[in-house]
Amino acid sequence: MQIDARSTESRDVGGVVAAFALVVIGAIALYDTAGYADIDSAVFPRTVAIALILSSLGYIVYAFLRRPPAEERNPGTTPRRVALVAVMLLSVAAMPWIGFIASGIIAFLCLILVAMHDPWTRQRAILYPIVGIAIVLGFFALFRYGLLVPLPKGRLF
Amino acid sequence: MKNCHRLIAAGLALAFTAGAASVAQAQDFPDKSVDYVIPFGPGGESDISARLQQPYFKEKYGQDMVISYKPGGGGAVGWSQLNSSDGDGYTVMGINLPHIVIQPATKDVGYTTDDVTGIYWFHYTPDAIVVPADSDFQSLQDLIDYAKENPGKVTMSGSGKGTANHLASIRFDEMADIKTTYVPFKGTGAAVTALLGNQVLAEWGYTTVGAQQGDKVRMLAVAMDERHPAFPDVPTFKELGFDLVGGAYRGIAVPKDTPEELRQKWSDIVGSINADEKFKKQMLDGGFALIDVPYDEVPAFMEKRKAEYLKAAKSAGIVK
Amino acid sequence: MLGEHLAQALTPLNVLLALGGVAAGTIIGSIPGLTATMAVAVLVPLTFTMDPASALILLGAIYTGAIYGGAYSAILLNTPGTPSAIGTTFDGYPMAKRGDGDLAVTIACLGSVVGGLVGAFFLLTLSPPLSEVALAFGPVEYFWLAIFGLSLIAALSEGALAKGLMGASLGLLLSCVGVAEISADVRLTFGSQTMIGGIEVVSALIGLYCIPVLIDLVATPDRHLKVEAEQRGFRLSEAVPIVWREKINVVRSSIIGTVVGILPGAGGSVAGLVAYAEARRAARQGQKYGSGEPGGVIATESANNATVGGGLIPTLVLGIPGTPPDAIILGALLVQGVRTGPQLFESQGSIVYTFIYGLFLATLLMLPVGLLIGRYAYKTVVTLPKALLVPSVAFMTIIGSYAIRNSVSDVIIMISLGAVGWVLARVGIAASPIVLGIILGPIAEQGFVQAWTIGSAIGDLPGMFFGRPISIAIILFTLVSLFLPVIQARMRARRMPNAD
Repeated sequence: MQIDARSTESRDVGGVVAAFALVVIGAIALYDTAGYADIDSAVFPRTVAIALILSSLGYIVYAFLRRPPAEERNPGTTPRRVALVAVMLLSVAAMPWIGFIASGIIAFLCLILVAMHDPWTRQRAILYPIVGIAIVLGFFALFRYGLLVPLPKGRLF
Repeated sequence: MKNCHRLIAAGLALAFTAGAASVAQAQDFPDKSVDYVIPFGPGGESDISARLQQPYFKEKYGQDMVISYKPGGGGAVGWSQLNSSDGDGYTVMGINLPHIVIQPATKDVGYTTDDVTGIYWFHYTPDAIVVPADSDFQSLQDLIDYAKENPGKVTMSGSGKGTANHLASIRFDEMADIKTTYVPFKGTGAAVTALLGNQVLAEWGYTTVGAQQGDKVRMLAVAMDERHPAFPDVPTFKELGFDLVGGAYRGIAVPKDTPEELRQKWSDIVGSINADEKFKKQMLDGGFALIDVPYDEVPAFMEKRKAEYLKAAKSAGIVK
Repeated sequence: MLGEHLAQALTPLNVLLALGGVAAGTIIGSIPGLTATMAVAVLVPLTFTMDPASALILLGAIYTGAIYGGAYSAILLNTPGTPSAIGTTFDGYPMAKRGDGDLAVTIACLGSVVGGLVGAFFLLTLSPPLSEVALAFGPVEYFWLAIFGLSLIAALSEGALAKGLMGASLGLLLSCVGVAEISADVRLTFGSQTMIGGIEVVSALIGLYCIPVLIDLVATPDRHLKVEAEQRGFRLSEAVPIVWREKINVVRSSIIGTVVGILPGAGGSVAGLVAYAEARRAARQGQKYGSGEPGGVIATESANNATVGGGLIPTLVLGIPGTPPDAIILGALLVQGVRTGPQLFESQGSIVYTFIYGLFLATLLMLPVGLLIGRYAYKTVVTLPKALLVPSVAFMTIIGSYAIRNSVSDVIIMISLGAVGWVLARVGIAASPIVLGIILGPIAEQGFVQAWTIGSAIGDLPGMFFGRPISIAIILFTLVSLFLPVIQARMRARRMPNAD
């Protein structure tokens, strides 16, 4: 009995959920291809969407027939992971308003906090932000003046 | 607090200078480098023609013209963001026909043709039918005869769909009452490669192809009013009885809140570069055909082109 | 004649340009998002004031350096600095994880130098005949080449083929997003202006490879890479024998790189992937490709640097750029008033040969320059505390993916793809099949649509797809690389029936 209980648990739930999501994506893509004026634009995405749906359905069937090897658990804290993505997205969203340098520095400082696992010492508390600001300004100068990239300017200032 | 005051003061000072500048700006424009945005990737024909203009701008106006790229969506990404740039005259963008007519007509691409403030149309690359040097098609009539006997069997490469090449192909097929097969490639370079590799029988290309490929290709006809000076032996479609004049036109546009005097100034700037003898020679050697459509003539020019392109696009089924 | 051109290439100015170009290129290439194309484009205006040969040497040096520099971030951060270095991540990053990052960087440098020399050698000796290869490849050949590239996913997704196929199909679908390249439709954007430009390959690469690494980096206090305590220098004494043992791999990959470089529709990323697939297929027993096998790094790096010379062949002979940076070099030549074409080698031989010798010189200079910069890059990544490494890399991904097309949309797509990629990787759908789909999708689609159009017009579709010699060869290669491992495994199992 114990073995049975473990076997249901070790089914690839994540994989099946992802496969379902991909089936949905494939279906949406198929729907989109119906609206194209030129048949040449529809052939390829349609074929690929069908391949996506079939391989995903195939996997769902496979996952119910066979047990995958127990997956390795990924250690670590989820809040920091989410924070990393959130900080990056927010800083990009803020760029058109506060400009590239400001959003870059703020994001850099926030990410120091997100990535900091060592204890804070006075030296680190002073050094890290300075290094961060220097890196942001250095890259800004390199891209703006060296590589002539028109980096976003802020609307507010 | 003290810093805060200083900041406000600096901000006010900045605002005043900005205001003062806008009054006097047309006279001493440009007084810093200008950004010339190409809505395509580097290395294409739009880039190369901008690169050719670049040194003349510097020579005549003493400021740098900095070329940057905003490729994506066949130019749509750049043009849809044109009006959100500063209208201070220091940002201009390259514009292309038939792109800015066809794209908004087919689907929502984030801009309309009227959103684009065209300042000057400075040249076009005339449409041309190109065949390999060893082709059996010696003249346009050979190609027409063959196409009449073998409907659909004449394969012709060209750059993309809804483009100058594609529209020319449709219009010519109608005029000559033939049926050819248009094979779209990604850019002129790929279309020429397919031609040289004999993957297709002919190419809908431009006079620039003839200039670059030299004696490896033969042009059967060019879509110009008069023969191109660099190719005095190649007849125009008009001479052969087909009213086909046109190609891919290039020009510049500014963001819509650019003041009138600066628009006029830019029109003069581009006109003066176009009038430079050395520049003219460079462009003609490259196979380009210079035209001069200054700011006040742009609207009439656009109306004419719009009607022509939309008609062809409708019969191609690209525009509903 | 030859001595004269060599002497012209070796003027102090040209040597300095080659040295500076390689160094600048290497650094630019190592930053994710800064590609060889961009490095070359930025420098073009500078070259207008130089004489044509010097200008070309500078551009060629930057180009070759940037292609090599892409290996650093591929090895140390699992992020290809340029698309050419995708295959370098497969084995380079596992090497770095186990503490051999410095060795991998040195091996990459050796491989790049050899590959670059082989490419330049073919450019010097066989340009006109080899340029015919560019013309022999028609739409249908590109289609099959893309299919061959996609067959690599079978190898990359060992044990989970269904998941590999899911990932690849997703990637192929993503490659369709935006304004279609050769037809006139806007696809899969669902009205969003962010998506209209499509998914930019480089920002997709950065997102799918780099963001998951960052996400897992912040989650634990462990060090990014394993660090050895003692100083080990360049580890040349280990690297040289490894490369020597892989000499067949180096030569094969360099030739693949040259040939793929000649094909205008392919480029360094495809060259690296094809060379990797072939190296993996020819693996000796005991070589574990995909988990830190130096042969994988050697294959990709020698192939992608060979594309530099290879790509210049059609550029100079036919006036058709072999790779995207070549398109810019061609533009620079036009502005300089140099006419490309078969006659170029005779009429302006002094420019061309001086340039080719300059390219040799730049490639050779890449050895010391690359080793030095590589060591510095390795040390920086290894010793930088995590709290600084993560924000620095995150900041580079943002500015890098912005700079490709000066577009904020690309940055948003990059981060979102990264988050999705991390989730998918957790459930076993790896990034590489998705990336393969994104890169090969347009090649496959355009080749297919064009071949179908032409085939229908001439009334011989089967002949179009299955009747052309080069196509048949590529199809056979694909079948072999798909089924040979299976057959070999069967035969091995039969030979050793008692083995478990």
